[in-house]
Amino acid sequence: MKILAPVRELDELEMLVAAGAEELFCGIVPREWLERYTGAIWLNRRGAKGGSLETWDDLRRLVAAAHDAKLPVFVTLNAPYYTAEQLPLVLDLARRMSEEAGADALIVTDINLLARLSEENLSAKLHVSSVAATLNSEAIRFLMNFGPSRVILPRSLTLAEIGDIVRDAGGDIEIEVFMLNDGCAFEEGFCATTHHHSVGAFCTNLSEMQAEFEWHAPRFTSRRRNWLRRNLADYRRWVWYLNGSGCGATPRGLPYGPCGLCAVPDLLRIGVDSLKIVGREASAFKKMASVRMVRDIVDRARGGTPRLQVIERARALREEPEHCDSGYMCYYKVSAV
Amino acid sequence: MEWYVHISGPADLEREPLLDSVAPLESSAMLDPLVRLAAQVIAREFGAVRFTGCVFGNEFCEHLLPQPAALEAAFGEARRLGLGFTFLTPYVSNAGLARLRVLLGRIEDTEVVFNDWGVLNLLRREFPRLTPVEGRLLNKSLRDPRIMGVYGETQAASGAAAATLAALRRSSVDSKSYTALLERFGVRAVEMDSLPQGMDLSFADRVRLSVYLPFGFISTSRVCMAAGLGYRKPDKFQPGAPCRHECQTHLVEYTYTNSPFANRDQKFYLKGNTYFYAHTEPMLTALMQEARLGRIARLVFQPRLPMVMS
Repeated sequence: MKILAPVRELDELEMLVAAGAEELFCGIVPREWLERYTGAIWLNRRGAKGGSLETWDDLRRLVAAAHDAKLPVFVTLNAPYYTAEQLPLVLDLARRMSEEAGADALIVTDINLLARLSEENLSAKLHVSSVAATLNSEAIRFLMNFGPSRVILPRSLTLAEIGDIVRDAGGDIEIEVFMLNDGCAFEEGFCATTHHHSVGAFCTNLSEMQAEFEWHAPRFTSRRRNWLRRNLADYRRWVWYLNGSGCGATPRGLPYGPCGLCAVPDLLRIGVDSLKIVGREASAFKKMASVRMVRDIVDRARGGTPRLQVIERARALREEPEHCDSGYMCYYKVSAV
Repeated sequence: MEWYVHISGPADLEREPLLDSVAPLESSAMLDPLVRLAAQVIAREFGAVRFTGCVFGNEFCEHLLPQPAALEAAFGEARRLGLGFTFLTPYVSNAGLARLRVLLGRIEDTEVVFNDWGVLNLLRREFPRLTPVEGRLLNKSLRDPRIMGVYGETQAASGAAAATLAALRRSSVDSKSYTALLERFGVRAVEMDSLPQGMDLSFADRVRLSVYLPFGFISTSRVCMAAGLGYRKPDKFQPGAPCRHECQTHLVEYTYTNSPFANRDQKFYLKGNTYFYAHTEPMLTALMQEARLGRIARLVFQPRLPMVMS
């Protein structure tokens, strides 16, 4: 089970390797895309500035240095879809990522792009993004038509569901799951909204909107109205946690945000292949702190530390037990017995 | 062009399958004006519409999968009345897939809309007598009503802005290689929403297209706010958690009061685990024009938000 970390530039590499990253992923938004589509249409689910590399030279140097450190680099081409007019450019970018820059895998969502790339015989392997919403074993069987080497499962699967999928996959394909940082209130692959800077994420946006209830059963009493209002407030609190607890950090600077650390022993037992730390756009410090936290827990799990001790350690690392106790910061519900 | 209506069960088919008869099915005071507006625009453009088929089921939540008897009843009644029948299915977990397998065994020689590649795989392998149709969740396009309508109205039609708007008006089905891929898997029909930024339907000569009105989906989730009503606070909002169909008791209407644009009176609707936008009159009129041009094979009228327990 590997630790997959986000990277945005070569300067972050040494630090991430030292912190314990074992695989890397990144995005690139080259000039030719920006010239054609401005910043309104995202090539890889991140804006052009801040979350992605910008030049081919940057990518080549990053991949070469990562390979020197024995780490593979996966590159995102994970927009939900590309139009007919975009596809030739995207295919060309994929070829360059693989053959020129030496990327080890391309992370793809669009089933059409996946099918086209499967016919290209590129050096890079193909990973199916979580945005493809692979929620069941039958979907993996369908995806196998296109020869991916890995599927990234959505955040919204439970440990039991992940276990079933890994068992059904029978080792024919690697399974990657989310481990730390950003959440998503929606099923990522079935969210048709944009995070464009002018409007922001829909889920957090909703928390600031006026909401009115209409009751469709007999007798809408004030008690029922208050019940609905309290639930809405709880939901908005849950969204706050998904959004990195207001993008905050502990007094020592460790990042808040959705977390699967307590589930590491279970995920190791299940046979998951990779744990994803989210946040290409995050600061270098947040990335490093995130990798350190995950590495600490993974090393204990790998070393055979009893499960409950690992969970205790994970909670201690988060430093804010009230956030853990809220139940809203966890990717996966684990049994503490 | 065909006209279909979304039914919640055989009782809906006791009415004449006419637009005037089914438009009042929506009991929500919030939604009724939106449904009536759609019915008015349809009547203005197409006169007295008679539905020749119905859709049944839902696309968004496996907890709303019907009981086998309910599916059989709806299917049987549609057949008895000589109406076409399409079964809508949602994205599913392995558990939902197992329930769906039972349901698919109760119908034959009819259309099934899939919104999950796993469901397509199941249909192809075990139910070759059912005709797969790609659902609107898998037909990818941005349809964020907060901003896409603004793009459609204000973007200058020149240079990169024009290319951006042109791309936003298209969807995943735009590529010939994509429709060829669907064909390879036995899919010759797709469904979609009418887009707030306008639609480019130039692909429609390669695949049969169904469009829903008057509601489009914005986003959906395995985590359901309504289901949280049945749990203690720390146990709320767990993916796929069992529910008691609390979504059927209420509707939430959001007003975009915090918009950076002029659309601060825009409404969004949450029913259960899914958010919807309603079609505006210009969107409805544009959709009718596309229908007149022959680019749409079927319009599906939904007199209620498509989250009804069958």
